[in-house]
Amino acid sequence: MKQIVGVADMKVSNNPKESIITYSLGSCIGLVIYDPAVKVGGILHYMLPESSIDKTKATARPYMFADSGIPRLFKTAYNLGAAKQRMTIYVAGGAEILDQAGFFNIGKRNYMALKKMFFKNNVIINKQDVGGNTNRTVRIEIATGDIYVKTSGAKEVRI
Amino acid sequence: MTSLQTLMKQIKDLTPIPAVAHQLLAVVDNPDSSMEDIANVIQYDPVITASVLKTCNAAYFGLKNPVESIKDAVNMLGTDQVIELALIKSGARALSGSQEGYGLIEGDMWKYSVSSAVVAKLVAEKLSLKNKNVIFTSALIKDIGKNVLGNHVANASQEITRLVDTRNFSFLEAEKKILGIDHAELGAMITKMWKFSPRMINIIRHHHLTDESKIYDKDIAAVYLADCICMMIGNGVGSDGLSYRFKHQVMKNLGLSAADVLMIIAEFGINMQEVDTLLHMA
Repeated sequence: MKQIVGVADMKVSNNPKESIITYSLGSCIGLVIYDPAVKVGGILHYMLPESSIDKTKATARPYMFADSGIPRLFKTAYNLGAAKQRMTIYVAGGAEILDQAGFFNIGKRNYMALKKMFFKNNVIINKQDVGGNTNRTVRIEIATGDIYVKTSGAKEVRI
Repeated sequence: MTSLQTLMKQIKDLTPIPAVAHQLLAVVDNPDSSMEDIANVIQYDPVITASVLKTCNAAYFGLKNPVESIKDAVNMLGTDQVIELALIKSGARALSGSQEGYGLIEGDMWKYSVSSAVVAKLVAEKLSLKNKNVIFTSALIKDIGKNVLGNHVANASQEITRLVDTRNFSFLEAEKKILGIDHAELGAMITKMWKFSPRMINIIRHHHLTDESKIYDKDIAAVYLADCICMMIGNGVGSDGLSYRFKHQVMKNLGLSAADVLMIIAEFGINMQEVDTLLHMA
């Protein structure tokens, strides 16, 4: 069965029959985590770096922001028996429009928000596919932890 | 290069995508629905909106001024007439919703168009622009050119990809270089043939702001910015991805900061579920 993670959404599973997928990441980030020992995996698809711009919206849609979504993703996985030290981490998305340098580069800001949190909490990214001008669709199989990425117009590849 | 005759023929053959016929029927069947509810259902579908406006503007109705939105159409022609038109247009033929040249599977362009229209409305509200309905409708149908250009892009995909990947062309610039026309120009041709208002044709023609003098037109800039925001959000984006140019000057002219853009995205994020539910996008 396929669990779909929408925009500003998150899904975590320990059901080996399931795969989790999120479609068409632009400047948004798809954060994929997996603990192979207990076969628990999840994907968060967030749109924006910091919830401080609107606390009310962050309460209504916590998965919209990096700083309110990322801790929830990890905690949900911990509740299913996952442990931080065993977790493998994959990051995709953070794309940018051509010439979108500087302050308006939301893709880069989304990625930096994640890096900042990971640095503070001693979390290391195992693999990533970020930046550029393409859209990405990311999928993880819970039974194996295999992660697949598809850029629009190309075939899905296992990373 | 793509011959004009070929394109003209393809424009004439363009199939309207039936999208919200069943929702429209449900709204019509509900005695509590208002004229506004009906207009809301119709205007979320780009091709039906285009198709209804095209028909309203046809000589048959003898309207003095071109109709620019479904609400105009309802006001001028009456609710029943507009519903009838929308249903005939939407129900008649099968959905031709994929644009393979752009890597868009069925329904992708629709999703993207609805998102663009909703974001454009948010931008227009933020800037207190008065042409909100025109901006909404223009954002909705701005990529109609892709319906015709898709096949040509597919045939030239290697050359286009090469220019984008290795020579720093935007996707639009590569379309123009290889095919002799881009989807914004073609969109303007289509909407001109469908007798849209000059203002809407102008917005569609310039929605990527290739002509930088158009930066000062706030309606065009609003639709342009909405398009950029939707590329970033990614919903229904094709293989052209984010390969379009970002013009920083637009932000300055509109008086918008990066924080404003983040807020518009957040606002869209909050409303997205509503849009999803409305159109069964999820």
